[in-house]
Amino acid sequence: MMNTLRILVMLAWRNLWRNHRRTLIMLGAVVVGVWAMIFMTALTMGMVNDMIEDSISVLPGHVQVHNPDYLDDPNIANLLPKPDKEIETIFAPAGFLAWATRIKVPAVLSSERESRGVTLLGIDPQREEAMSFVDYSAVDGRFLDGPDDDGLVIGRKLARTLETELGKRVVLMTQDPDNDIADRGFRVVGLFSADVEAYEEQYVFAGKGTVQELLGVGDRVTSIVVLGDDYRNVEPVYEKVQALVDDGVAVTRWTELDTYLGTMLRVMDGFVLVWVIVIFLALSFGLVNTLVMAVFERVREIGLMLALGMKPSSILGQIVIESMMLLVIGLAIGNLLAWATIKPLEGGIYISVVAEGMAMMGAASVLYPQLRPEDVILANAVVLILGFFASLSPAWRASRFQPIEAITKVN
Amino acid sequence: MTAVRCVDLCKTYRQGDQDIKALDHLSIEVEEGGFVCLSSPSGGGKTTLLNAIGGLDKPDSGEVYIAGERIDNLSKGDLAELRLHRIGFVFQAFNLIPVLSARENVEFVMQVQGVPAAERRGKSLEILEEVGLQGLEDRLPSEMSGGQQQRVAVARAIVSNPALVLADEPTANLDSKTADELIDLFKHLNEHHGTTFIIATHDQRVMAYAKRLVRMLDGRIVEQIDQNAA
Amino acid sequence: MNLVLRLAWRNLWRQPRRTWLTAGAMVFSNVLLVFMISLQFGMYRLMIDNSLQAFTGHMQVQARGYIDDKKMRQTVPDIVALANELRAELNSDAVAARATAFALASSEDRSYGIAVFGVETQFEPRVSNIPGLVSEGRYLESNDAAEIVIGAVLARNLKVGIGDELTLLGSGRDGSFAAVVADVVGIFDSGVAELDRTIAEMPLGLFQDVFYMRETGHQVVVNAPRLGQVAELKQRVAALLPEDEDLVVQDWDALLPGLKQAIQADISSAVFMYAVLVILVAFSVLNTQLMSVLERTHEFGIVLALGLKPGRLGRLVMLETALMGLIGLFLGALIGGAVTAWLGVHGFTMPGMDEMGAKFNLPSRLHPDVTIASLLSGPLVVFLFSLLASVYPALRLRRLQPVEAMRSA
Repeated sequence: MMNTLRILVMLAWRNLWRNHRRTLIMLGAVVVGVWAMIFMTALTMGMVNDMIEDSISVLPGHVQVHNPDYLDDPNIANLLPKPDKEIETIFAPAGFLAWATRIKVPAVLSSERESRGVTLLGIDPQREEAMSFVDYSAVDGRFLDGPDDDGLVIGRKLARTLETELGKRVVLMTQDPDNDIADRGFRVVGLFSADVEAYEEQYVFAGKGTVQELLGVGDRVTSIVVLGDDYRNVEPVYEKVQALVDDGVAVTRWTELDTYLGTMLRVMDGFVLVWVIVIFLALSFGLVNTLVMAVFERVREIGLMLALGMKPSSILGQIVIESMMLLVIGLAIGNLLAWATIKPLEGGIYISVVAEGMAMMGAASVLYPQLRPEDVILANAVVLILGFFASLSPAWRASRFQPIEAITKVN
Repeated sequence: MTAVRCVDLCKTYRQGDQDIKALDHLSIEVEEGGFVCLSSPSGGGKTTLLNAIGGLDKPDSGEVYIAGERIDNLSKGDLAELRLHRIGFVFQAFNLIPVLSARENVEFVMQVQGVPAAERRGKSLEILEEVGLQGLEDRLPSEMSGGQQQRVAVARAIVSNPALVLADEPTANLDSKTADELIDLFKHLNEHHGTTFIIATHDQRVMAYAKRLVRMLDGRIVEQIDQNAA
Repeated sequence: MNLVLRLAWRNLWRQPRRTWLTAGAMVFSNVLLVFMISLQFGMYRLMIDNSLQAFTGHMQVQARGYIDDKKMRQTVPDIVALANELRAELNSDAVAARATAFALASSEDRSYGIAVFGVETQFEPRVSNIPGLVSEGRYLESNDAAEIVIGAVLARNLKVGIGDELTLLGSGRDGSFAAVVADVVGIFDSGVAELDRTIAEMPLGLFQDVFYMRETGHQVVVNAPRLGQVAELKQRVAALLPEDEDLVVQDWDALLPGLKQAIQADISSAVFMYAVLVILVAFSVLNTQLMSVLERTHEFGIVLALGLKPGRLGRLVMLETALMGLIGLFLGALIGGAVTAWLGVHGFTMPGMDEMGAKFNLPSRLHPDVTIASLLSGPLVVFLFSLLASVYPALRLRRLQPVEAMRSA
């Protein structure tokens, strides 16, 4: 058996290079196809990944805990039942990658000249560092020191819109639990930047303690946000959190809170697969054609081999091996080429030309291609598996040749 | 013991709108160690008979026995096995696999049979020497003359010691000197190895060498002449 | 010429399986291209139309600089008069004046920051879908009553229904304190979260009083009958503007830059994909034609020896490619067009389109539209590149020497 296999492999390899022009052209096509599969996938996945990570860190984390009424009505009246200190003792030992409690309410921020609606985030700065979208290295002024810091940190874009700057005073107005207006003057102590400019306009940060005092809510908070390892697989985190909390609160996964992103993730995964298959199908015409031509040229020697006693299955095997060799070489080069073109771009592709369009979709204007092993494996697997099936037809026909007909065939 | 026995073979082909009787109730026996030449004008049926004996083609009716074993009713798979282990073929042309060297062509059948590498190599080199091709083992068919190619084919046909060698017009594409050398080779192998040869040809020189000459016409045997090889 | 044509055609069919496989690659690509391009064109047009008709309009007359800074004090003077004049000159009702400000809206239970718009009650329905999407109550009627219409999400957040009162607090044009109490007479549901959550509309007259606008406003929205006529209309409107004020006409491209760019980004990624398909087809053609030429070396040698010029041989090969390409083009366009047209009638949907549609103002079922452009653009490019691919094999023929050629098998 091994002997036969060895000779089949030898025959397949030598036959591959018999017509090297044809093989090289086909190889070229495979390389282009494989490169395109991986490159496009990396770009798409990179975009999706950034979008989701940005959004998750702000909005829902991976898993969130709220008062059940808060989800429909994000008002300060809908607080979590347990006070912050108690939550701390329950959650701290659980060993999550990162977690934090927040107060998140709508508010209005006014400068001397303008007013805007914003979302106020009362945070614990040390905790938030692991979770937030803020680029802490690029903060003008300073970020918050601790939960009782009485400064305000706003986005650069918001500062421009309100015509205010570092050091100036602004007034924050929001609703307290009794539906009275609670307002307070703050000094702008820091300006932050975010990949997605809309976040700069929307979110303002203040110390959790300061906000609790402003609203008169004592030690209560509105949200617990938990981060796990993998946004694609939040079940473990979800279950862990469920176990920690009582029945009276709502635990939600990020996919439930932002159905657009959740869906988009699925859609993009599907899109990648479809794209890979489409490219392969386009390649398959050429592949089958190449094999058909090769078999046609070798009718006589196939007949000879059959006459000498080689089994038809060996003929089939030979052709299939030849085809797979071609594909494997093409895959190797294609993968290498893709890696070589993606690596240098991993620092980010600047697409500021369509920056606002990307913002509309929720993406940043710098694209970070992401080469994930799963995607590379997918592309390779599709090519190999479908390639195998594509080569079966010409190989099958070759194995059905009748020896004497084949030998005496005149072109 | 008879190497080959055919009983009442019939085979008809359709060509265009005519029926051609390639074998017409033909019976023949060839003893072990025999050297038989089949001759007929083109289309006389010798190739068809050869194909039937070699298990490449099934007759419409009649029986074929190789070394006492009936083969005309074997399955395709069994026939392939038969061809692999017991029969050697030399065709008129296109005998060799273009991508394999002379030695590799000779080893081909042994490799498919499963013979271990060292043994294969030894045997193939030995046989190539015997057919007068030492030094040319690593040449590709495209790098050899017609005569050399045929010798490689012969080497391949006999290297695994088949009981029977069937050759179809082996000298047709060769010049006279090379053809003579090839026939000498056949004779040598027939005498020293005892291999049975059945050769289809209309080359006079080949016919002269045969121990027995069988003339065919329209699918029948019209004459059998016993002659002693010169 | 006829003979050459027949010869080329017959040559194609010497190896029918090979020809069909190569043509098959073309057909496959063409079907995909026709479908995707039709879908895209249709989708973009729909996106644009829907987004603009929701609220933005095709173009707006604004004060210079307003588009960037959006400051309360960057106003269009005598805005209603200007709107009237435009309506008269353009002979169209699709012209409406607006003014806008940021305000804090308070109901009995809740307060939220919103964008308030003062609108011309009779003309606003001609430039925006919102008045037509009132799901509860009614749209505004008079020009100065203390009425307000809000979005469904806002209504829910504020916990108000028809007949409830809203208090609005903000700053007027001169920076002074502005306040008003208005009755909620209508709630609209546009399906666009942004709009339903942040927009409230009140009569322009009321707005101008409350926010100390005097006779000014911020935008005059002008809609063209069709998207294709926007550029021309923009010129006309610009010409009609009073010269001493610093007013400009901004078209939707500038008003919603994100829209055009989102489309552009999508187009670029699509073009990348199409390019890959076309290249793969070209490879296929190259391979086929090269093999086909090499096979016939002997025969070509004879033909050359008989006196035919190498150039003509080259043209023969290109003609063969062209014929094969035409098969690919026609079949591809036919099948692609048929499939797309069928989907155009029955609608086409993919999982996930609901949510994505909501974000981009698209319905969850798309009906791709086959136009001449979408039908032919893809296949024509494939055809062209196929011809290009056969240039190399054709060129090889020019260097062929008769005797050498005849020697090869």
